[in-house]
Amino acid sequence: MQTRRMANVYKQYWRINILTTLEYRENFLIWFLFTFIYHGTAIASLWIVLERFPSMNGWSFRDMFFLYALWMVAHALHNTFFSTVGEIPDHIRDGEFDRLLVRPLDTLFQAIATPGQVFPDELVLALITFVAATLYSGVHVDAIFIIFVPLIVIGGALIDLGLNLIISTAAFWFVKVDALRWIFIQLEQEFTRYPLSIYSRGVRLLLTFVFPFAFMNYFPAAYFLHKNEVVMGVPPAAGLLAPLIGIVFVAAAYAFWRFGLNRYQGVGH
Amino acid sequence: MAREATYRFDVFTTVGSFVVRVYLLRMVWTALYAHNAAPKDLSRHEIITYSTVALLMGIVMDIDQTRALHDKLHDGSIATDFMKPIIVPLYFFADGTGEVLFHAALLVPSVLIALLIFHIIVPAPAVLAAFLLSFLLGYLVGFFLNFILNLTSFWTLEISAVQLIVTWLTDLLGGELIPLILFPAVLQTFIYVLPFAAMFSTPLLIYVGQIPPSRYAEVMGLQVGWIVVLGLISTVMWRAGARRVVVQGG
Repeated sequence: MQTRRMANVYKQYWRINILTTLEYRENFLIWFLFTFIYHGTAIASLWIVLERFPSMNGWSFRDMFFLYALWMVAHALHNTFFSTVGEIPDHIRDGEFDRLLVRPLDTLFQAIATPGQVFPDELVLALITFVAATLYSGVHVDAIFIIFVPLIVIGGALIDLGLNLIISTAAFWFVKVDALRWIFIQLEQEFTRYPLSIYSRGVRLLLTFVFPFAFMNYFPAAYFLHKNEVVMGVPPAAGLLAPLIGIVFVAAAYAFWRFGLNRYQGVGH
Repeated sequence: MAREATYRFDVFTTVGSFVVRVYLLRMVWTALYAHNAAPKDLSRHEIITYSTVALLMGIVMDIDQTRALHDKLHDGSIATDFMKPIIVPLYFFADGTGEVLFHAALLVPSVLIALLIFHIIVPAPAVLAAFLLSFLLGYLVGFFLNFILNLTSFWTLEISAVQLIVTWLTDLLGGELIPLILFPAVLQTFIYVLPFAAMFSTPLLIYVGQIPPSRYAEVMGLQVGWIVVLGLISTVMWRAGARRVVVQGG
């Protein structure tokens, strides 16, 4: 019963999103261009650097493009379905969040299904990029690749969601979490662009075991590209565990969310 | 009060993100220099210095000094500004100056970290002076470029995305991320025709000695040229835009 109601709400949520996007078509085009240029300049930077220095710790531009594309799909999948989690701190600050508490549906689900201007354009762009990167990098597409890539991408999106949820939960205690979010987004977006093996011990540890961004793209890419790198005692094949890591990380984040929600007293409106 | 809160947020993110990014670029350049033939005249230490100074410049360069113009066009309060006995464009310039000075103050801890922890190269006083002058000119190029973007709000209100796009293009094509001298030859031919190189690349190449003193007059002359061109464009746009407001508000 509960599930059916949620499915219904979720369907309406996407209907409203798509109608809103169609209503503001010019805005949509500008923001699409924005997404395109963002990833375009990132990939162009890698190309320019690797054109001059052909090897980054043994990774060529082809490898790095694949590394980026794998992160891009997972990140776009997260942005398409869960970017609304990042808006929870705003709802808490202006008191809107308290309304969700009195409604008879799961609070987090309601927060996720708050309509905005969400459109799967980044995801489409990411999928095209990923197909191009796979063909270009010459990765061997076999049964393991076809079965595991979708799972790894979902795992990556869950890792992203876990981080997003942890930061949003912090808003129960600190009203402004923008600075925190900003630093972590930077950590994720810029540090996942390069092979983990170039970093010093502390950062490898952080990106493998604390905030497991390395499982979004580095370990799986190292596996598919047949890299012989063992970082922090973790072999590339561990990249296939990304879906599991994603589930564990998001479960931990959800436990933290429940903990915060139970102690939440409102911001005094 | 609201601004003060924003400032506290800025101290944390600006200095914190500076340290994180310097760490990242050191790791990246170190890995690249370790596995490839290094460029003849740009050592690892020099390129790390280049990128660190670029990040320091970014702390001041990335400010949206004429943001108030966009905001006031959005909520319509610009109409009353035209009635006040002030020179309106100058008012917008002054409004953002406080933020510029605040960010300039943030440079103090950041520069200290760069010197004491990351040990960047410090050039001879004459070169340093030329760098500072060129940095100032670069700032003005960036200021007018940004002013032009904010001026487009007279005609279209949604400019945030466009502003971010221009910022990324500036970071890449201005040489903030990667020195332009390392770009493939194909790109070299057209990046120097754009104003972005005058913002970051020129002062930075002076700093690391890639531009010798004999070329100072030439490269800074080009920067001044850009200031004049962009200044003229923004004057024309300002006049046209201000007339539009008066017409609409009648």
